[in-house]
Amino acid sequence: MRPSLRIVAAIAFVLGAAQAVRFESSNPPVAGDAQPPPDVATGLRSACYDCHSNETRWPWYASLAPVSWLVHRDVSEGRRRLNFSVWSEYVVDPGTRTQKLEHIRELVLRGAMPPWYYRLVHPSSRWTDLQRDEVLHWVDAEIAASSTTP
Amino acid sequence: MDGTSRTAALAIGLALCAGAGREARAGDDAPPSIRFEDQRFEPAELVVTAGAPLQLRVVNARSEAVEFESFELNRERVVQPGQEVIIYLPALSPGSYPYFDDFHQDAGQGRITAR
Repeated sequence: MRPSLRIVAAIAFVLGAAQAVRFESSNPPVAGDAQPPPDVATGLRSACYDCHSNETRWPWYASLAPVSWLVHRDVSEGRRRLNFSVWSEYVVDPGTRTQKLEHIRELVLRGAMPPWYYRLVHPSSRWTDLQRDEVLHWVDAEIAASSTTP
Repeated sequence: MDGTSRTAALAIGLALCAGAGREARAGDDAPPSIRFEDQRFEPAELVVTAGAPLQLRVVNARSEAVEFESFELNRERVVQPGQEVIIYLPALSPGSYPYFDDFHQDAGQGRITAR
């Protein structure tokens, strides 16, 4: 066998073996979604919900290792850090809700979320300046509401 | 030991036992409390009553800010040095709820157990 064929065969073998390590692409029930104005909700859904909600639109490559490992890691970590589908649980503790909102504001202002590689393959996640301002306005209003909650 | 002394000793013993029980289990009046100290949480396991909403008092006894974080409880709160916060929790199902200091993850995990 030629060396180049050997390399191709080795890569194919490794990729094939990688498919044995699978993760379930599941969406748990939505416990209590955030209720922003419709325009803001559209922006959040297009840019955030795939990793930060229980309404993930699992792409086809979420079943193809090793990319699937990265997708599942991002969704798992994203849901743990901020999950719009359990927003009603954050509301019970105004301090937690305020912290989540402050994180959102900071990351939106820095342009750190969604990650560049997500924006690369999801053009709809790239907000216009208007969408960004609408989200920030909602975040500020929610923080102000939290500070007046007893 | 006469009967009166025996009764008094028994009463004191029962009171001490009850006091020892409260160290691990949240009291009836004051909110259950967790204290963040250097590299540990006090208590390491806090037992609370399942099925009733509760307030949790988190005290930062460290010289640096800490962040109470629990993915299972969906709670995160920064607590400045020497400060304390109250965290509101819904009625918990029986079970174990780990938490950690997100600013000092090497401190390991504490645990809230609802029974």
